Amino acid sequence: MTSARHGHRARFIGLVGVAQALGGCAWDSRMSTVSPASDLARSILHVYGIITWATIVIALVVSVTLAIALLRFRDRPGGPLPAQIRGHTLLELSWTIAPALILLVIAIPTIQVIFRTQGPAPKGALQITVRGWQWWWEFRYPGLDIATANELYVPAGQPVALRLEGPDVIHSFWIPRLGGKRDVVPGRINHITFTADTPGEYWGQCAEFCGTSHANMRMRVIVLDHAAFDRWVAAQRAPAPEPSGDAADGKTIFARSACVGCHTIRGLSAGVLGPDLTHFGSRKIFAGGMLPSDAENVTAWIVDPPKLKPGSKMPAVGLTTEQARSVAVYLLSLR
Amino acid sequence: MMATHEVALGHHAREQAGVGSGVWSWITTVDHKRIGILYGVSAFVFFLVGGIEALIMRMQLARPDSHVVGADTFNALFTMHGTTMVFLAIMPFSAAFLNYMVPLMIGARDVAFPRLNALSYWIFLAGAIFLNASFFVGAPPNAGWFGYANLTTKQFSPGANTDFWLLSLQVLGASSVLAGVNFIVTILNLRAPGMTLMRMPVFVWMALVVQFLIVLAFPPITVGLIFLMFDRFFGTHFYDVTAGADLLLWQHLFWIFGHPEVYILILPAFGIVSEVLPTFARKPLFGAPVVIYSGVLIGFFGFGVWSHHMFAVGMGPVADAAFSIVTMLIAIPTGVKIFNWLATLWGGAIRPTTALHFAVGLIAMFTIGGLSGVMHASPPVDLQQTDTYFVVAHFHYVLIGGSLFGLFAGAYYWWPKITGRLLNERLGRVQFWILLIGFNATFFPQHYLGAIGMPRRIYTYPAGMGWDFWNLVSTIGAFGIALSVFLFAVNAIWSLRAGAMASADPWDGRTLEWRTSSPPPVHNFDDIPLVLGRDTYWREKYGRRAASASTEGGSGGRGGGAAGAQTEAYFAAGRPPTSPPAAAHAIHLPAPSYWPIIAAIGIGVAAAGALLHVAIVIAGALVTVVSLFAFALEHHRNPAHVHQDGTLGIDHRKVAMWTFLGSECMFFGTLIATYLAYRGRSVVGPHPHEILNIPVTSASTFDLLMSSLLMVLALAAVQRGDRGQARLWLFGTALFGLIFLGFQAYEFTSFIHEGLTLRTNLFGSTFFVLTGFHGAHVSLGVAWLVTLLVLDLRGRLGRADAVKVEIAGLYWHFVDIVWIAIFTLVYLIP
Repeated sequence: MTSARHGHRARFIGLVGVAQALGGCAWDSRMSTVSPASDLARSILHVYGIITWATIVIALVVSVTLAIALLRFRDRPGGPLPAQIRGHTLLELSWTIAPALILLVIAIPTIQVIFRTQGPAPKGALQITVRGWQWWWEFRYPGLDIATANELYVPAGQPVALRLEGPDVIHSFWIPRLGGKRDVVPGRINHITFTADTPGEYWGQCAEFCGTSHANMRMRVIVLDHAAFDRWVAAQRAPAPEPSGDAADGKTIFARSACVGCHTIRGLSAGVLGPDLTHFGSRKIFAGGMLPSDAENVTAWIVDPPKLKPGSKMPAVGLTTEQARSVAVYLLSLR
Repeated sequence: MMATHEVALGHHAREQAGVGSGVWSWITTVDHKRIGILYGVSAFVFFLVGGIEALIMRMQLARPDSHVVGADTFNALFTMHGTTMVFLAIMPFSAAFLNYMVPLMIGARDVAFPRLNALSYWIFLAGAIFLNASFFVGAPPNAGWFGYANLTTKQFSPGANTDFWLLSLQVLGASSVLAGVNFIVTILNLRAPGMTLMRMPVFVWMALVVQFLIVLAFPPITVGLIFLMFDRFFGTHFYDVTAGADLLLWQHLFWIFGHPEVYILILPAFGIVSEVLPTFARKPLFGAPVVIYSGVLIGFFGFGVWSHHMFAVGMGPVADAAFSIVTMLIAIPTGVKIFNWLATLWGGAIRPTTALHFAVGLIAMFTIGGLSGVMHASPPVDLQQTDTYFVVAHFHYVLIGGSLFGLFAGAYYWWPKITGRLLNERLGRVQFWILLIGFNATFFPQHYLGAIGMPRRIYTYPAGMGWDFWNLVSTIGAFGIALSVFLFAVNAIWSLRAGAMASADPWDGRTLEWRTSSPPPVHNFDDIPLVLGRDTYWREKYGRRAASASTEGGSGGRGGGAAGAQTEAYFAAGRPPTSPPAAAHAIHLPAPSYWPIIAAIGIGVAAAGALLHVAIVIAGALVTVVSLFAFALEHHRNPAHVHQDGTLGIDHRKVAMWTFLGSECMFFGTLIATYLAYRGRSVVGPHPHEILNIPVTSASTFDLLMSSLLMVLALAAVQRGDRGQARLWLFGTALFGLIFLGFQAYEFTSFIHEGLTLRTNLFGSTFFVLTGFHGAHVSLGVAWLVTLLVLDLRGRLGRADAVKVEIAGLYWHFVDIVWIAIFTLVYLIP
């Protein structure tokens, strides 16, 4: 009896869950493709909407016809053989032409949007170079001499021109709310142009399978108003702040360990295989955007990266937890 | 006509023809029905394997941040799931029905080349086992079923994982192309008297289209895989960006195959539905010619849309727009099929059997998959949907909602014909509803998951993305699918033990397979039936009513006049029509053979050797070559095999050779196109103009052209029966071929001396692989000519064998023509 009641309750909770999920079928979640926040994403949604409605209408026509046929034309025992109709030219012509017309309705806005969204970037667009690495994102602002990782800062209302470069394997750059994806192909240069509407944080991740930790290759775009963006630029252009105390120890350890081979900290090291850490402390996430930047995570990461991120190209460099903590404190001080 | 099967050989051959039931009889069988069953059972086993892989993935994804499996395991699971379901489950399921039913439906006694048919099966099995052996050595493929280069190159995938994948795909491809050639010849050349092309059942038509797709679409991926193999094993640069390679090369080659592959997977199911609906609506297929034409059009357009898989790679707006429009055009013939199926049901007398349930399920579910396909035919929309769960939902609606529902319809429909027993209809309907619900619970939410941004191929996801709940639902649904498959297995086992016995025609069928017993005798039909129109067996049963209605119909009236007159004649005679009856003892059936399985084992050993030691490769290749020779010469002197003229009035072997050469055109076309695409992209020398020796190559080209002339003389001599001349010219042709190979050896060594090897640059890679494969074809041709010469010397190449020289000649001339293309494009054009 108890278990029966328990069962009822579980079922009830289940139903509530379904209802909640359906009712709140949130279309504006972090990586929604149908909640646009840029001109590019809105252009896409325009076509998306037309096609969706067209397909729903066709699906309804087919399913209603099918249902009627199944209900009406059952075999009755002893009934006569149905008329052996082998075809009807006019009917068949009409259901060849009708889909063609519907496709025309879809094709026209499609072609318009293809050409509208793939044109050259407007003058005055902010130029940013995007590089997809196994398994993190590098963003360089060539005009501004800024390099960052996994967090892309752009101003609202200003066109942004991304230049996609692939240093290792194929990746795909995708921030759903800001627009469709574009592959990052080694040996080719691809472009995305968009203008973000309003300040906010937009999430994305690599969309082309790129090896072991493909799932851990995430990123965020932080859209700022103009003033805030200018402040961010100024802060990023400034040299790395000089550490003190524990952080100073961390700097020493960093400077004499293998870290410098892959990472740049302006004024200290010039490695290029890993993210530029000059302003590491200003980032909310690290390790391909899979972990929040706090002392605990960064320490654990430095001790054994592949443990946190399968296949990580950054090896354990043989630092003790103690040393790693100092380095973490140092890195987080680089604001 | 049908000489293969009707030349009297006495009881002996018939007793040989694998009527036994032991394991040996299955290993050596060449009976298309048994091979069909072998395909079906193997496909079901691999279908279970692929299904278990899917269930593990769904368990991992049921919750965020879960640890059921790790990243590498998950990546291997989705790679193997895709590869298995495409190549080891759905394709062989279709092959099972194709093998069993096509000869029955066209009124034939077997396929055109029964032993080749067995060879295809065993090669398939060797490839399938080899692929799955990767699990046991801990190196399952893990770069995705479309294995995008350069992730698959040695630099980024150093393990044997990708080697297993690329080797087994080549083995499976060989199996498919051999079967493709065989079935094209069978369908074109083995039709019963009166079975014109437009009278063929739609399933047979779809089988024909699919075989053409296989024969033409596999060579591009084979070439792509050969490049990958050379990159990984021999250090070439086809996918090496630093050497100037373009990574889109692989994507183009893969999808030129990959998109037709989609139709290879779905068209057989469309064919099955086009048989099941008319039977259970008791009404002819509405607008059958239009359904056939639309299938042909789908196949044709299928070759022109591959780049819609590549909208995100940045091909530019013009290419995007063009491929978008062609892709949308495919929706038209596809839609026409659906409407014609609806019209078939409309006005019918529908019997709701399990088979009909699945067929109707296909219409409804495939419509959803087709329409979501139209959505990503639009590049802007595709850029939001591709590589997300929306696409995962889409292609599962096509491949489960389309292919699998169709295959289940076929299973319930044809099971009694194959086993002689009925499946349980009530359990079948339960299975249908569980599958329908489980399938929709699994995949419908994935549309939503994709729309809110869940990428495919991620082994885990963080909480808080809004993806948790529907992933859980999807996982629960997947177990519904598993339950349904389990119930099918239960039903099958129950039926084999205790199912009701099936009559020859349990469904009141319309096509020829229902005209013979269930299961059919080894020789299929005692008398080859005479075909009087579409749905010929229905006409036989229902007579005037069925036949007269046919001439009133709109588009069904095609060819009705002549058929009508014949029909009148036989209804007047009052007995079913057959061709002149052949006495049972006069039916020649092909003898069983163990060479196919030995050849396949050799191929499997060679593939394994590629991962172990070159000596094993050589041993495997040797076994294969020896068994293929034994295979070819096994029935060399069998008088039943002398004349193989079929429906087209052409010898089977000639039709086969023409078909094979069509496939070869795609093969060399791809190699030459790659050479041209990579011309001028090498980042280091030597470059072509510095090294190509045009005078010497002109001489070798002239030599090869002259060999073609000698080949013509040789054939003429054999046809005249002039053995002296035949020997002379066959020898001459082979000699000229050898001289050409000598030139090539000289050229290759001098290039190597001048510092150009496979590994030097892109020019070296493309040049040596292209001309090397041509040289290999010439070598094969020389070996073939020498074999003919030896036969001649032993007095076994008479006038009756002229066709053997003729097909060797066709091959030889083709190889020469390819050389002229290579000479022009590689050597002459600067």
